[in-house]
Amino acid sequence: MVEPVIAAREVDFWYGQFQALRGVSLDIMDDEVTAMIGPSGCGKSTFLKLLNRMNDFVPGARLAGEILLRGQSIYGPEADPVDIRRRVGMVFQRPNPFPKSIYDNICYGPRLVGIRKAAELDVVAEKALRAAALWDEVKDLLGKSAMELSGGQQQRVCIARALALEPDILLMDEPTSALDPIATAKVEDWIREAGMTIVIVTHNMQQAARISDRTAFFYMGELAEYGPTMELFTSPKETRTENYITGRFG
Amino acid sequence: MIFGYATAARKRRDALAMWVVRAMAGLTLATMALVLIYVAVNGLSAVSWDFLSQFPRDGLTKGGIWPAVFGTLGLALGSMCVSIPLGFGAAIYLAEYAKPGPLVTGIRLGVANLAGVPSVVFGLFGLSLFVALFGFGRSLLSGCLTLGLLTLPTVVAAAEESLRQTPASFREAALALGANRWQAIRQVILPAALPGMLTGAILALGRAAGETAPIIFTAATAFSPALPDTVFAEVMALPTHIYNLAANGSRIAETRPQQFGTSLVLLALVLGLSLAATIIRAKLRRGRKW
Repeated sequence: MVEPVIAAREVDFWYGQFQALRGVSLDIMDDEVTAMIGPSGCGKSTFLKLLNRMNDFVPGARLAGEILLRGQSIYGPEADPVDIRRRVGMVFQRPNPFPKSIYDNICYGPRLVGIRKAAELDVVAEKALRAAALWDEVKDLLGKSAMELSGGQQQRVCIARALALEPDILLMDEPTSALDPIATAKVEDWIREAGMTIVIVTHNMQQAARISDRTAFFYMGELAEYGPTMELFTSPKETRTENYITGRFG
Repeated sequence: MIFGYATAARKRRDALAMWVVRAMAGLTLATMALVLIYVAVNGLSAVSWDFLSQFPRDGLTKGGIWPAVFGTLGLALGSMCVSIPLGFGAAIYLAEYAKPGPLVTGIRLGVANLAGVPSVVFGLFGLSLFVALFGFGRSLLSGCLTLGLLTLPTVVAAAEESLRQTPASFREAALALGANRWQAIRQVILPAALPGMLTGAILALGRAAGETAPIIFTAATAFSPALPDTVFAEVMALPTHIYNLAANGSRIAETRPQQFGTSLVLLALVLGLSLAATIIRAKLRRGRKW
């Protein structure tokens, strides 16, 4: 039995009175790309944000159940949200680089954990940019403001920025929804070749089919079906899944 | 052709409305230009390097206004030392930490009302608190504290607005990279919001430089033979100097050129500060894309 990177057990979640998640249990496996699909408001983004405690800042948020990161509870009394966010990286829906240079964007996380020496930061920055397949494009522009890059490059700067902390797992919340098709293809290529644990929320079923190893279908706050992507798309077990992926609703 | 008629009437009304608002805008501009030209024409002959750099002589009828320029600069900059830390701190609390509720509503209401308090009331408040109760006397310090409180609402409002306009995605990005709240504010949100915050502060600086009533009670003296050597000394200031020359002296007609000259200097100072704020804002707007 391989230990999953993340194990969610009977997770319920409320925004105030509204229950956004009901009894969600799933395992996310090492070095796999897991896609989360489902209609708007189904809870997929909410679930994603639970994995690095970004819902902590939402007033009135409440959680029941348990989420384990390599066996340790993310929400237990011992858990440190700052430490968890360093191990669980995140890329957002719209590219959100800081209005700083590319170099300072990449080095933001490393500097937070106390890396100060220029030589060390240079190594970290190059490694992160190479890992995000962006090094060759920007190696001569490191001092340029990240805001001046194209949307696709900005998003990959954000990926590199998250990778600079060498996270265990990378969360991506509809990372290509604000990008044009060519930039989208580049990000998808990167996801396929990254060789790391990635959880991606997407509105785009073709995208889920193209890039993921496993797919979770959320429906009205429940995990309706979860399995290998090929199986889920070719022979769904649930009628709800079938209706959704054949475009009958959503 | 009922439609044709209606269209023609509507067009006439539209044109009329446009000309009315155009005329009003023109009138506003003309009034401002008139004031500027009037002061400039009458004051320009009095302004010279000696006028700016020398002390007044012969019962304010001759000499320059250097101590008043110095005093006004001191009061304005000193008031910023009060309102910037207090105002920026309050704005950061309101924009970043405060949860909506009666306390925050109360603070915001208080700040808004503070902006509506007449400046003479601030003067009396400063007189009773700083001058009398704290024993600072009529001094540069009392004047700076009073003007600092007077400009506080402007500083808070501009700073809070600027902080709120900073995209939430910056904060999210910083937090997701393991920053704590204060780190996100200090390293990402403040640098992005600072230009707007400073613009508000510069406008407040201009306001502080031009205020008269508050410093009459708390800081200003009609004449000082030397520049102040401590913050507990009284100072001369441009607005009160104008007042003394034009309304309070015994030789009002004689000092007419000085009155206009001093007015011109004050006007130039205040307009210069507004212009600086406008330029800073325009420059920084160009560089950002959010």
